[in-house]
Amino acid sequence: MNTHNAIRLVSLLSIWMLAAQGQIFQPQLAPANFLGRITSNTVILQQPYCVFTQTCPGCEIWLVAALSTGTGNFNALVNISSPISLSVSPYPTAFLPSSAQFFLTRVGPLANFPCNTAPAFPYFTVGADGICTGINCNGVLPVGSIVSFRYLLIDPSNYTVVNMTNWGGPFNLTTLLSYQTINDGLSARSGAMVVITTLLCVAGALLLLVFFIMLCVSCCGKKDGKTVTVMSSIRIPRYDTHNLKEHVHPYDNQAYEPDAKNYSTSQTLPKSPVRK
Amino acid sequence: MGAVTCLMVTVVGLNAIAAAAGLALSAVAIWVAVDGYKLYPISGVSGKDDIFAGAWIAIFTGFAFFLTCIFGIFAALKRSRALMLVYLIIMFIIFLFESASAITSATNRDYLVGNSNLVKKQMLQYYADSSTQGQQITMTWNNVMTQVQCCGADGPTDWIQYNSTYRQLFGAASLWPLGCCKRQSSNFEVVDPIGCKAGVTSSMFTQGCFQYIESVLSRYTWAVSWYGFSVLMLVFFTLVIAMIYYTQLP
Repeated sequence: MNTHNAIRLVSLLSIWMLAAQGQIFQPQLAPANFLGRITSNTVILQQPYCVFTQTCPGCEIWLVAALSTGTGNFNALVNISSPISLSVSPYPTAFLPSSAQFFLTRVGPLANFPCNTAPAFPYFTVGADGICTGINCNGVLPVGSIVSFRYLLIDPSNYTVVNMTNWGGPFNLTTLLSYQTINDGLSARSGAMVVITTLLCVAGALLLLVFFIMLCVSCCGKKDGKTVTVMSSIRIPRYDTHNLKEHVHPYDNQAYEPDAKNYSTSQTLPKSPVRK
Repeated sequence: MGAVTCLMVTVVGLNAIAAAAGLALSAVAIWVAVDGYKLYPISGVSGKDDIFAGAWIAIFTGFAFFLTCIFGIFAALKRSRALMLVYLIIMFIIFLFESASAITSATNRDYLVGNSNLVKKQMLQYYADSSTQGQQITMTWNNVMTQVQCCGADGPTDWIQYNSTYRQLFGAASLWPLGCCKRQSSNFEVVDPIGCKAGVTSSMFTQGCFQYIESVLSRYTWAVSWYGFSVLMLVFFTLVIAMIYYTQLP
């Protein structure tokens, strides 16, 4: 147990000492729950807390942002303990085809990044200044490019590079699509729309059909007509229009004499008894 | 006479139900036309606002169904062939208009919210634009983002993946509109402006707004088209029975 602990302690110490010299540290992206950590022209990196631990009063931490060829250019130009001209590749012209493809920007004084503080928001946005014109401004990166980063510890009194981290990256910036490329045409017809359309069209057609059948049936088709209700013979009060003798009743219909009781009322009966 | 009386009672009953259903259709269509969720600009700016046009037609056809069915009750009670014929013709015309309304609403809904592309493209194009359409879209989206607590059409990455009017105008200051940031419930200030600007998922809304927009517009559409369809099926059976009754009248 003791040896295990001792080995663990020694390895931790050695890693910490190596890291303190900035040898194995690479600039890292913000964690994955930062949705904007890589956009088409900006990157959010972790700030270099506890990376450069040598005492260097007045030293400043700078950042190099370089494309793939820019890393080679920068390596050829600058080494540890070598002098550096901060305007060696000014930002406005840094990414022209004939330029060095990197630029330098100031992150902050070394005193701002001590080891024993846990800051609330230890992240640095590369490109925060937008499209700017200063020599060392924190301008946006070329859209959709592949960039690498390096932190430098610079002594501003004699413009020498005291220490450097390794290259972090390369990070692929997202290519920006134009919103015109979004195809907003009809994607698919929903089932509901098909059902409604077909059923309503069929219903409308059926209605029209039944309507015409109805008209035909009611106007033209009277084959089995209804039985015509006929009223039975009417008994009317009998009027004598001729001046006949009493016992002559020429208008009495002899065939209906048996019906006299069933269908006759007193008003319709002849005034004198029916001759049998 | 018994069969004809039975038919008459059926016709009167069905017409009463259809009158009530038509009045309810009119009321539901008024609800859609009023647009309580205030999402009309999304369909208006895109030019595909036939969901609301169908609602307007349904207001009038629903009320027309109500009046004509009452007339149909009167015609059936009168046992008059002429009145029943007039009733049938008017009902058929209203049937055609109402089926146009139902079909149009259902079809247009597919164009608008079949997938999120149209809503997303419209948002990217018109949000923060200074034209009239841009102002309407901006106001609508600000309302939606605040009420529903969402950002972008499918998510905040819409603002990163695509170029947009907002990005051209304000992209240097912030990747996405302030409506995407979580706000305190007490004084409505942004909880974490720096975190929201960087995209920390705990400081901003990460779900997309398209689901809400789609559900509201679908609700409007089903109110007009499915309910209109069911009223039309009821009217269809009513008319068939009324036609049979017509043939039995002297």
